[in-house]
Amino acid sequence: MPEIILENVTKRFEKFVAVENLNMKIEDRGFVTLLGPSGCGKTTTLRMIAGLETPTSGRILIDDEPVFDSKKGVNLPPNKRDIGFLFQNYALWPHMTVYDNISFGLEMLKWDKAKIRKRVDELLALLRIEQFEKRYPAELSGGQQQRVAIARTLAPSPRVLFMDEPLSNLDAKLRQEMRAELKRLHSDTNSTFVYVTHDQLEAMTLSTRVCLMDTGVLQQYDPPLTVYGKPANKFVASFVGNPTMNFIPAELDQVGSKTVTFHMLGKKVTFTSDDQPEKCGKKLLLGVRPEFLPIHKDGPIEGKIYSTLPTGMETTVQVKCGDTMMTGVVFGSVDFPIDSPVNLDIVGDSLVLFDAETGKAVAYGRAEIE
Amino acid sequence: MTQLKYRIKAFFGKPSNILLVVFLVTLVVLSLIPLITMLSNMFTIHLGTEKKLYRMEVGSYTLKHFQRLFAGDDWSRVNFWTPLINSFIVACGSGVLGIVIGGTVAWFITRSDLKCKSFISSVFVFPYMMPAWTLALFWTNMFQNSKVGGGNIGMVESVFGICMPEWFVYGIFPMIIVIGLHYSPFAYLLIGGILKNMDATLEESATILKASRWTIIKRITVPIVLPAILSTFLLIFSSGFSSYTVPVFLGSAVKMFTLSTKMRALIQAGYQGQGYIIAFISIVLGCLILGINQWFTGKRKSFTTVTGKSGQVSLVKLRGANWPLSVIMIIFTVFFAIVPLVSFALESIIKQPGNYALSNMTLDFWVGTEGSTYETGMISGILLNPTMWSALGRQVLLALVVAMIVGTSGMLIGYACVQRRGTKLSQAVESLAFFPYLMPAMSFGTIYLAVATSQNFKFLYGTFAILVLVASVKFLPFASRSGVNSMLQIAPEIEESAIIFGTPWVTRMTRILFPIQKSSILSGYLLPVMSVMREVALFTLLVPYARYLLTTMLFSFNETGYSQYGSAVTLLIIVVIIIINNLTNKLTGASFDKGIGG
Repeated sequence: MPEIILENVTKRFEKFVAVENLNMKIEDRGFVTLLGPSGCGKTTTLRMIAGLETPTSGRILIDDEPVFDSKKGVNLPPNKRDIGFLFQNYALWPHMTVYDNISFGLEMLKWDKAKIRKRVDELLALLRIEQFEKRYPAELSGGQQQRVAIARTLAPSPRVLFMDEPLSNLDAKLRQEMRAELKRLHSDTNSTFVYVTHDQLEAMTLSTRVCLMDTGVLQQYDPPLTVYGKPANKFVASFVGNPTMNFIPAELDQVGSKTVTFHMLGKKVTFTSDDQPEKCGKKLLLGVRPEFLPIHKDGPIEGKIYSTLPTGMETTVQVKCGDTMMTGVVFGSVDFPIDSPVNLDIVGDSLVLFDAETGKAVAYGRAEIE
Repeated sequence: MTQLKYRIKAFFGKPSNILLVVFLVTLVVLSLIPLITMLSNMFTIHLGTEKKLYRMEVGSYTLKHFQRLFAGDDWSRVNFWTPLINSFIVACGSGVLGIVIGGTVAWFITRSDLKCKSFISSVFVFPYMMPAWTLALFWTNMFQNSKVGGGNIGMVESVFGICMPEWFVYGIFPMIIVIGLHYSPFAYLLIGGILKNMDATLEESATILKASRWTIIKRITVPIVLPAILSTFLLIFSSGFSSYTVPVFLGSAVKMFTLSTKMRALIQAGYQGQGYIIAFISIVLGCLILGINQWFTGKRKSFTTVTGKSGQVSLVKLRGANWPLSVIMIIFTVFFAIVPLVSFALESIIKQPGNYALSNMTLDFWVGTEGSTYETGMISGILLNPTMWSALGRQVLLALVVAMIVGTSGMLIGYACVQRRGTKLSQAVESLAFFPYLMPAMSFGTIYLAVATSQNFKFLYGTFAILVLVASVKFLPFASRSGVNSMLQIAPEIEESAIIFGTPWVTRMTRILFPIQKSSILSGYLLPVMSVMREVALFTLLVPYARYLLTTMLFSFNETGYSQYGSAVTLLIIVVIIIINNLTNKLTGASFDKGIGG
């Protein structure tokens, strides 16, 4: 069964390093997202696995078969890799009707007419675009074009499906809808999905595993909730989650076997973790997700309301504590007058302690403020 | 009454309306009146040959011209049907050739890892800048020989001793080659532009669906480029059909005519009526081609390019074939772009054509004085010759005057049409300004000849003014198109925010709108200069005498057989054109091959 393995894959354009020494294993029937800011090398990675781009060095295996190996000089063209590719701009052929677009890949496989007809009908029904069969792409809306592109990609039943930001050209509502459909499609088609996006919400909601990249380097490769709860470093912690995580500057006092003590906002804090904390420098950052920062009249941290942003279901509250700005999320609609004094608490056991210098996570656990 | 007065006042309160009305009236006078005059001339008897032949009163109405031309007898075969078929074959052949060459080069430059791309690209487009007849002249310089035509010895015969057969040297074959080559850079620019901008993912997605490279070219690339190819074909076709200068160089020596050379021959032989009919047919054909083109590009299969993450085109690796192909390309482009210049220089310094020995060389044709200039009908070499200098001076003056008129009008038409976009008035002005584009230059010259020989406008005949008029109207389409396009790019708010400050119209134009579109407006002024400097067909019937302008002078040299002077003048014209082009580049940053080169 198709399992994709990348070993020490590097891609350079002239002097610019797009992807550096990437190691990754994509399990069979997984839904893996390559996530990162633009220019981080995620599209390049996808195109290298698909065979549209040639890596500078390294090895790529699909289903135990090396499709690229710089040492042995193996480089299979994309058409020999049994894959499907969904492009960001759909890349529908403007001179062909919807039917012709979908049937093209099957014709290339030399299917007979009746079989092609049957398969295309199946796909038209699956994606609910039966009525557009005879139209040209220019006569379809963005969402309809998107469906045609998906149908075309799925037609030959590829074992692995690559998608390059397929939803980024759609409006917000349609994007939400297509997200749900992609997830269904993943379980219906039984194939492996590799998905590129810069939208962390998309990555969180869709995938079984997230591969987070920055400037060509892999940052973390874990299931979405692990990435969210136990980010490997400050970059991951701040990239995933909205509103973003709070980073509160702290001064290290002492590292124990499973505890770290430090000073923060003029208070002494004891941080307890299940594991031995990593080595760290004097300067720390306490990472607190907004949902672990409740407004509480007995809370130990004093601050002033900077702004409140109610959305209806929840309210984002920004509080200024000394020089540090902190963001909390409160369930329901609440409104605080600007500059009114409030007290904050830090709760939960999914707090993260970072080394301020290296940005690496030191420990995951809970904090007690004296 | 006061209501109407108020409305008229409000209407003319807008500068754009005043401009539109002024241009409407001017353009109607300058393009419709000549056309109508020409139409009526198709049915009237003219002084001279026609009067004698038909024994009818000058100016009386008749259908005789049509009868003679379409009768189906020898006269009509020689003067109409054969030239028509010749024009048709030449037009088709050069269209196909231009696309094959231009398309092939475009594919190699945009889609393969060919070497020396930027060199090939810039040299390849060079012939397009030169007048079309330079290649024709080059062809005869190379291949003429003692067995065909005038019997002058060309370079190939004198160096290799090979006499090319007549069909190779003169007639349809070389015309197709020359016109096809001349317009192939045009095909290259259009097709290359599309190939370059075409999203690479369109081809990549076919690769992933297991299509072979050949299948991709056949089923994806070519169909997508096809509308552009067809419209390029039609444009080359119409240019080839109406080409006058190339058939003159490559046809007259063997008495082979196309429709446009025949048109001139008929008019000069006194058969004006028939000449005007041919001019009219060419105009109708021009309109027809544009109609087909618009119908075709407006079809439902044609598309707007969706841009995505393209630019990641993976170039086809030519592997072992790379070097040989690159070398062939370089030799090919150099042969048709640089060798002609060398050949003109060489031809202009040899005493006896065909003899390239050092002893046969002289600079007399350039700087010779009286006595040393070989019974050429010239009193001195061209650089010392007052006739040449006054012809060059007139041509440059004409170019500058026309450029001023065309550039300014184009800009103002652009402004006014964009301001009042959607109104009938603006549409009328826009299409009237484009109308001369449909008319072959020769026919357009003919129309103005009809006007200048008519009773009411006799004072125009043989004047500088009529040359200015005809060139201004003929070169307006491009300038007005670019004026409209550049003004469309300026958001209306930009002018409106100045209106709110109470800025007067002239200040708004000079301080805000023009500076924003500086470079495109500048090119609107400079391109007519180029066009006038290389134009022959438009002026040939209207100049008072052949040596009035530099280009018409060159043709008279050719007709009288002074090939050295011809080559020298050609070289001079090319030098002037290159200078103007470089000036354009420097001032506007626009360049012929911009955006495609490797």
